[in-house]
Amino acid sequence: MAGLACVSQSPLLQAFGAVGGTAASPGFRFVDVTSSVGIQFQHNSGAFGGKFLPETMGSGCAFLDYDRDGWQDILLVNGMDWPGHKQRRSTLRLYRNNGNGTFTDVTSRAGLDIEMYGMGVAVGDYDNDGFPDILITCVGQNRLFHNTGKGTFVDVTNSSGLGKRQAFSTSALWFDYDRDGLLDLFVCNYVKWSPEQDVFCSLDGKHKSYCTPEAYRGETCWLFHNRGNGTFEDVTASSGIFDSSSKSLGVAMLDDDQDGWLDLLVANDTQPNKLYRNQRNGTFKDAAVEVGLAFSTEGKARAGMGVDVGDFTNSGRSGVAITNFDNEMTGLYEFGGKTYEDIAAQAGVGMASKNSLGFGCVFFDANLDGWLDLAVANGHIDETVRNIRGNVGYAQPPLLFLNNGQGKFRDVATELGGGFEQPKVGRGLAYGDFDRDGDLDLLLTTNNGAAHLYRNDQLAGNLSIRFRLVGTKSNRDGIGATVRIVSGGLSQSRMVKSGSSYLSQSELPITFGLEKRDRVERVVVTWSSGRTEEFTNLAAGRCYECTEGKGIVPLDGF
Amino acid sequence: MTRPGQPLYPRGVSRQSSPERSPTPGLLLGLVITLAAVVAYSAYITWQVAGLRKLQSELIDRNRKDSLQLLRIQNDLNLLAVAMRDMIDNDEPYPLTAWSAQFQRIRTDLDDAMRLEAGLAPAGRTTEQSASLSTSLAQFWDAVDRVFALAGSGREKDARAQIQLSLQARQAALSTTVARFLVQNSENEEQAAQRIIQIYDRVQRQVYVFLAATLGAILLTGFSMIRWNRRLFARMAELSERRSELAQKLIATQESTLRYISRELHDEFGQILTAMGAMLGRAGAHAPEGSSLRTDLHEVRQVAQDTLDRVRSLSQALHPVMLDEAGLESTLDWYIPTVERQTGITISYEKDGTPFAVDSGAAVQIYRVLQEALNNVARHSGAKQAWVRLHFLSSELELEVEDHGGGFNGQPVKQGIGLVAMRERSELMGGRIIFSIPSEGGTLLRLTAPREKIEVLDAETNPNDKKDHGIAGR
Repeated sequence: MAGLACVSQSPLLQAFGAVGGTAASPGFRFVDVTSSVGIQFQHNSGAFGGKFLPETMGSGCAFLDYDRDGWQDILLVNGMDWPGHKQRRSTLRLYRNNGNGTFTDVTSRAGLDIEMYGMGVAVGDYDNDGFPDILITCVGQNRLFHNTGKGTFVDVTNSSGLGKRQAFSTSALWFDYDRDGLLDLFVCNYVKWSPEQDVFCSLDGKHKSYCTPEAYRGETCWLFHNRGNGTFEDVTASSGIFDSSSKSLGVAMLDDDQDGWLDLLVANDTQPNKLYRNQRNGTFKDAAVEVGLAFSTEGKARAGMGVDVGDFTNSGRSGVAITNFDNEMTGLYEFGGKTYEDIAAQAGVGMASKNSLGFGCVFFDANLDGWLDLAVANGHIDETVRNIRGNVGYAQPPLLFLNNGQGKFRDVATELGGGFEQPKVGRGLAYGDFDRDGDLDLLLTTNNGAAHLYRNDQLAGNLSIRFRLVGTKSNRDGIGATVRIVSGGLSQSRMVKSGSSYLSQSELPITFGLEKRDRVERVVVTWSSGRTEEFTNLAAGRCYECTEGKGIVPLDGF
Repeated sequence: MTRPGQPLYPRGVSRQSSPERSPTPGLLLGLVITLAAVVAYSAYITWQVAGLRKLQSELIDRNRKDSLQLLRIQNDLNLLAVAMRDMIDNDEPYPLTAWSAQFQRIRTDLDDAMRLEAGLAPAGRTTEQSASLSTSLAQFWDAVDRVFALAGSGREKDARAQIQLSLQARQAALSTTVARFLVQNSENEEQAAQRIIQIYDRVQRQVYVFLAATLGAILLTGFSMIRWNRRLFARMAELSERRSELAQKLIATQESTLRYISRELHDEFGQILTAMGAMLGRAGAHAPEGSSLRTDLHEVRQVAQDTLDRVRSLSQALHPVMLDEAGLESTLDWYIPTVERQTGITISYEKDGTPFAVDSGAAVQIYRVLQEALNNVARHSGAKQAWVRLHFLSSELELEVEDHGGGFNGQPVKQGIGLVAMRERSELMGGRIIFSIPSEGGTLLRLTAPREKIEVLDAETNPNDKKDHGIAGR
């Protein structure tokens, strides 16, 4: 990678890349390095022919720095064989980044070699000890693993108060909704399902197929308040989150009303999406209908899967992306003053995603031009869909929409190489700079298939700047903090987020693309505690560690 | 020559046409009727469309919007039913009060839907019906509040019993009422659809009537136009024929007169002068040799001879007797050198084909055309050379006169008397005359006359020709 970095700095390539960039070339390429870096992962959906609903829904992935060595590690969630159909053992996989472009499977060493029907993952340092902890959402009992700081994890599910709960949980996130400096936990649940409650659904009247969520009753999401003593209190009911009709798959945090208190956007499958506005008193109020995020523009509750939030207009206000079923188009919502407007069709995202069933989705600046782009993992839930809908396949190519900064997005997936455009039964999607070259790499999981790590190689010579936030009064991960930068007349903002996408979590450090700008004139950090800090005149091309109340320190490289 | 008693105009052609009535008023009337029909029909259609729009906006659109709100209410009621089922099932680890936020969300949406629905309710709905729905709903929420109050006070079992006893029944009743409204809206829509069909039928009928009326007007106008056009063309043809006939009569009269004068000059004055010459010769012979009388008589006889020559020349010029006596070919053989001498133009004269005898009546026309053409060459072309070609073809006789002079100089041929006369003369023979421009410039006149019309088939010549021979004898 160092070699590649050197090559990418050559003036000739920079000039070539610059020309390519202006000539609508993406300005970067992907290289599938999954095998070469040592990741050998095969998702086990447990499918044995029973067509149990969870089989086709998983699973997720995450970038996390579990050992705090500054290199992003990878966690891949896995399912397992169903009881009574046990053939092999399968567990999640934790891959430690060796810092030299390779990974080592440390699952067993970390104590995570535990079988469970895992779906999603949320990473957050809930006890502020400096080491990220892991929540694995499951079909059945979710698992909370506490990071000991010594390269191992301890299952604290029961002792933390999260035990004795059976559900079909999906995405989850850590956030500090009451601004007490402790990360609280939000968990999405899909439907009331268990092998015993499985319903027979069929497309041809004879053979069993995967049911759509209409066949099952909804399940409320859960909100757990962090008491600060290693235990959690279920505040689902008292916070107003409780909703037995929800069929939730994705969740993202945002500050919708910009009051400094984190709100939540939940993507529901065949049910209205929910925007839980933080009432600043421990309760939430759903405002999705009011702001126009609950339904499609036709007033239909779509099959919301993944969700992400990002300031893709560089206006200081976050927009929203929600992936949906095929023929429903991905929703791309822009904030229009009081309500959100779905601009997917006019922005070029609508028609391009019409024949795709989207799951994971992330806003990230793929080409480091200063504008958030959008990547979407696609894949149908039914392997026989081609027989019914000729233009829709089971495996579907991912999409990567480049933002031109003028309200238009263009899918460049086929131009990126590395086999990125090959059809896959995509599910989880996360980004992270695993090689510390300043650009964002993609991690994509497939259902009952392999995971893919796509290394991002910049071709246009664009620069970036990264920030790693450490909270003191706020939660230690800085989750919920917003960073705004001004560089060369361009303003950008990002939030340190847990959750988003589908069953997945991207890295916590935040990355700003600067195109050819080599300095950032102004950086404003607004912590979740409410504290605001400002820094000026930072050089691009490196990562900075910003500790709440203690200033900013440049790190060695990214 | 027009014979006494011969009508000037052929039978069937009215001599004097009566003044025709102009077609303009009729056409204008047709136009006004058509425009009036279009305006009337447009007004009718506009009225019908306005009615349709009113029906759609006031009834159907409103009905549809109302149905959408009713469906929204129905959906909210269903959500309440599902929530109540979950509450009764008691399989959640939460107290019944956990559902209060969910109920509140539904209530907010339901209140909004009810408010909108009240503004869209169709006119057919009675006040009692509307009041019944809102009252039932208010009672339902009152019961909900009591249930949550019970649950809040720890009496969850009683609350669940209340849900089963009261809430579910109220929800079912509300759902039935809303369903009845939806059915009512559906019936209203069916009635409106019927009315729309009636409007469409009416408009369709009117379209047919309008189309028939328009077609009638167009047909009447068309027939009128055809009639007036036919009259106009007949009138033009009649005028053209009359003009042609007049021109041909004029030509015939002119030729006849010229022939008569020529003959008189040749026969009468020629013989008198010849006789005078003979008598003066004899008288001179009787006068003494060398006497002044003999000299005077000789001079007088010389004057008489000159007069005789001039009379013969004039006679020849007015009507070449040779045409009658020696035919066209010989006449041209004589005439062309004469013109060369008179005008100084070099004329190349060619003949080809097998000659045939040309009727004297036609010969004079051909001669006159040649005369006029050469005259034009001499007077207008500025050319010093001309070509005359006479082709005896199997089916026609063709005369060409060509010069490389100024020609028409790109100007359209002005139909002067000479050109008109040439054309009329060619038509008298059943032939045609064509003017063109040779590649070298100038003018090429080509006269063609059908052989069957100009050839003398009978060996016996016209009695007049016999008479002409007499004139020609010199």
